[in-house]
Amino acid sequence: MINKYRWWEIVGIYLGIALFLMFILAPFLEAFLVSMRPLNRINSIPYKIVTENMSFEAYFTMWENVPRLARYIWNSFFIATCVTIIVLIAVVPAAWAFARFEFKGRDAMLAAFLAINMVGGAVLIIPLFQLMRNLGLLNTYMAMIIPGAAFLIPTAIWLLRSYLMKIPRELEEAAWVDGASRPYILLKVILPIAMPGIVVVAIATFIGAYAQQFLFALTFNSNSDLHPLPVGIYQFFGRQTVVWNEVMAASLVGILPVLIIYIFLQRYIIAGLTAGAVKE
Amino acid sequence: MTVGQLKLDNVKKSYGDVEVIQGVSLDVKHGEFIVFVGPSGCGKSTLLRMIAGLEEITAGDVEIDDKVVNTLPPVKRGIAMVFQSYALYPHMSVYENIAFPLRVEKRSNEEVDEKVRKAAEILHLTPRLQHRPGELSGGQRQRVAIGRAIVREPSVFLFDEPLSNLDAALRATMRVELTKLHHDLDATMIYVTHDQVEAMTMADRIVVLDAGNIAQVGSPLELYHKPDNLFVAGFIGNPKMNFLEVIGKGVEKDGVRVEVPGVGEFVLPVTAVDPNSVKDRALTLGIRPEHTHLSEGEIGLDLQANVVERLGIHTVGYANREGQDEVICTVQSGSAPIKAGEKFKLRFNAKDCHLFDADGKAFTRNLDLKGLGLPDLD
Repeated sequence: MINKYRWWEIVGIYLGIALFLMFILAPFLEAFLVSMRPLNRINSIPYKIVTENMSFEAYFTMWENVPRLARYIWNSFFIATCVTIIVLIAVVPAAWAFARFEFKGRDAMLAAFLAINMVGGAVLIIPLFQLMRNLGLLNTYMAMIIPGAAFLIPTAIWLLRSYLMKIPRELEEAAWVDGASRPYILLKVILPIAMPGIVVVAIATFIGAYAQQFLFALTFNSNSDLHPLPVGIYQFFGRQTVVWNEVMAASLVGILPVLIIYIFLQRYIIAGLTAGAVKE
Repeated sequence: MTVGQLKLDNVKKSYGDVEVIQGVSLDVKHGEFIVFVGPSGCGKSTLLRMIAGLEEITAGDVEIDDKVVNTLPPVKRGIAMVFQSYALYPHMSVYENIAFPLRVEKRSNEEVDEKVRKAAEILHLTPRLQHRPGELSGGQRQRVAIGRAIVREPSVFLFDEPLSNLDAALRATMRVELTKLHHDLDATMIYVTHDQVEAMTMADRIVVLDAGNIAQVGSPLELYHKPDNLFVAGFIGNPKMNFLEVIGKGVEKDGVRVEVPGVGEFVLPVTAVDPNSVKDRALTLGIRPEHTHLSEGEIGLDLQANVVERLGIHTVGYANREGQDEVICTVQSGSAPIKAGEKFKLRFNAKDCHLFDADGKAFTRNLDLKGLGLPDLD
C-alpha cells in the first residue's frame, strides 16, 4: 500500500498528534514546573509559566523533609520488580500451554481471566484483606507483591498467548521429531523466539505493578518502612500546608526507575526476529 | 546405517466420526524412494505425520525395522523429517540449526563438529554455516532443513512437500539434488507431494492416495501405462487423460469390442474376465492427450478447437465434439495446424486406449511394460 499525503494533510496529522500528546504530556510539564517553583509562587493568578526564583531546590529539600523518601522509591521499585519476575515465571509456561495445547476448560479459563480484569482489585479489597490477615501477611512486602502479581497474570497470559500463537507450530514439531523434550523446546526454541513478546509483557507488567501498588500498600501495609512511593508521598501533606513542589519533585524522581527500565528493555524489542523461520 | 524397513498394516486415522485414513497397508523395502501423491485433503500428509509420530494412530500398526512404533515418540522411531515450511530456528546459525538434534542428544563438541561439517559438505552449505536462516535463499533454507535430518542418520527420511515453497526453476534443481542424495545415502525415503512431476521423476514407487485410501501402488511407468482405476488415470499425466462414454458390445479374442457413439465400433486390446461386465454396459474409454494424432489412427473424432496453447515444443489444443460440452485435450507438435474456432479430425489408436467399467475400475491392458524397451525397468 502506498500512503501519499498532501502537505496540508501531513500538517493536519501532526496537529492531531500534537493535540493528543498535549493531554498526555501537559501534566508532566506542569508537574516539572511546579517542582521548580518556590511554595508561595505555586498558585499564581493569572497563570504564568515562568515565575520568580525558579530553582531545583525542592529536589534537595525533599530528602530532608521526608527522610525515608529514597527508601520509598526503592520499595516501589523492589515490589514492581518482584511482581514482574513472579508474573514472568508463571506466565511464560502458562501462555505456551494456552497457546498450544488442547485441554478441557481452556477457553472457559481464558474467559474467566478477562472477567477478573473487569472486576478489578478495588472491589475485592475487603476479602483480600481478610485473606492476608488469616495468612499473617499483613504489613509485609508479600502483602503487596502477591495480590499485585495475581491481578497482572491474567492480562499477561492473554498478551503473551497471542504472541506465542504466531510462532509456527512446525518449529516445535521439528524439535520434537529431533528428540527435544518439552522443557527443552520451551527453553531453547520458544523463549528466544518469543523474546520480543516477553519483553513487551515484562514492560507492561512492571508499569502495571508500579501503578497499582498504591491500593494494596494503603490497605495491607501500615509499616512505614515498607511503603512504596505513592503512599510515602502522603508525608508531604502537612496539617496546614501541602508541600506541592516537593510532592511533584518526588513524583518525577519516582518515575525515573520505570523510565530507565523501559529504555533498557526496549533494545530487546527487535522487529523481525522470526524472519527466516518458515516460509510465509 | 540401520536397515530402513517400514510397514504399514491397515493403518487408520479418525477425527471424531470422520475417518481420514481408511485402512492403509504398505510394505517399504530398505533404500526405496516412496512418494505419496494425491490431491489436497487425500490424507497423504496425515499418513506421513502418523509415521513420524506427530499424529496418533487410531487403528492398525506402523512398523519400522520390524518393531511396532505406534506409541513411540518420533526420536525413538529412527525417523527424521523435513517440513514444507523448513521449520528452521531463526535465532540460531545454520551450524547450530544442523547441530540441533546432536545437541539434544548431548554429543561431544568434536562429534557435532564432524557431523555438521560432513552434512554441510554434502549439501554445499559450508560457506553458509555462520549465517542465520533469514539471510539464506529458499533453496538454501531447505538444504539446511535436510542437513538437520541427515546428521541424525535415521532409518527413514520423511519429507512433507519439501519443495512446494520453491519457485519452478529451483524445484527442478532440488529434485535432481534429492534424487542424488537418496542414491548417495542409500536411505529409505518417504516423500509427500501433490506435484505429480516430483512423484514421477523421483519415486521408485508411487502411492496414489484418494480420500484416505490407496488408489494404486506402483512404479511411475506402471501408473502411467496401466492405471488401476479412473482416479489414477486422471491424476497421473499432464494434461489429464481424456474420457469418453462408450458402450460395451462384447468380449472377443483380441480384446473388448466397444461402440463409440457417433463414430463406430472398435476392439480395444484389454482383458475382461467377466463378459457380463461388458455387454451393453456403459463404459469409459480413456485416451491420453499425447496419444492423439491428426493424421493416423483407427478411431477418429470430429472436433471443434476452442483454445490452442502454443508452448514452442508442443501445441496443446482444447476442443469439444459438436453438441457436447466435454472438453477433449490433445498434445501435438509445436507447429500443428490446428486453430482456435476451426474444425479438425482427431485420431487415435485402439492400442493406446484405456477402458474402465462403470465402477471406474480398469480392464487390464494387454501391454507388456518390458516390451517398451526401457533400460531401467525390472
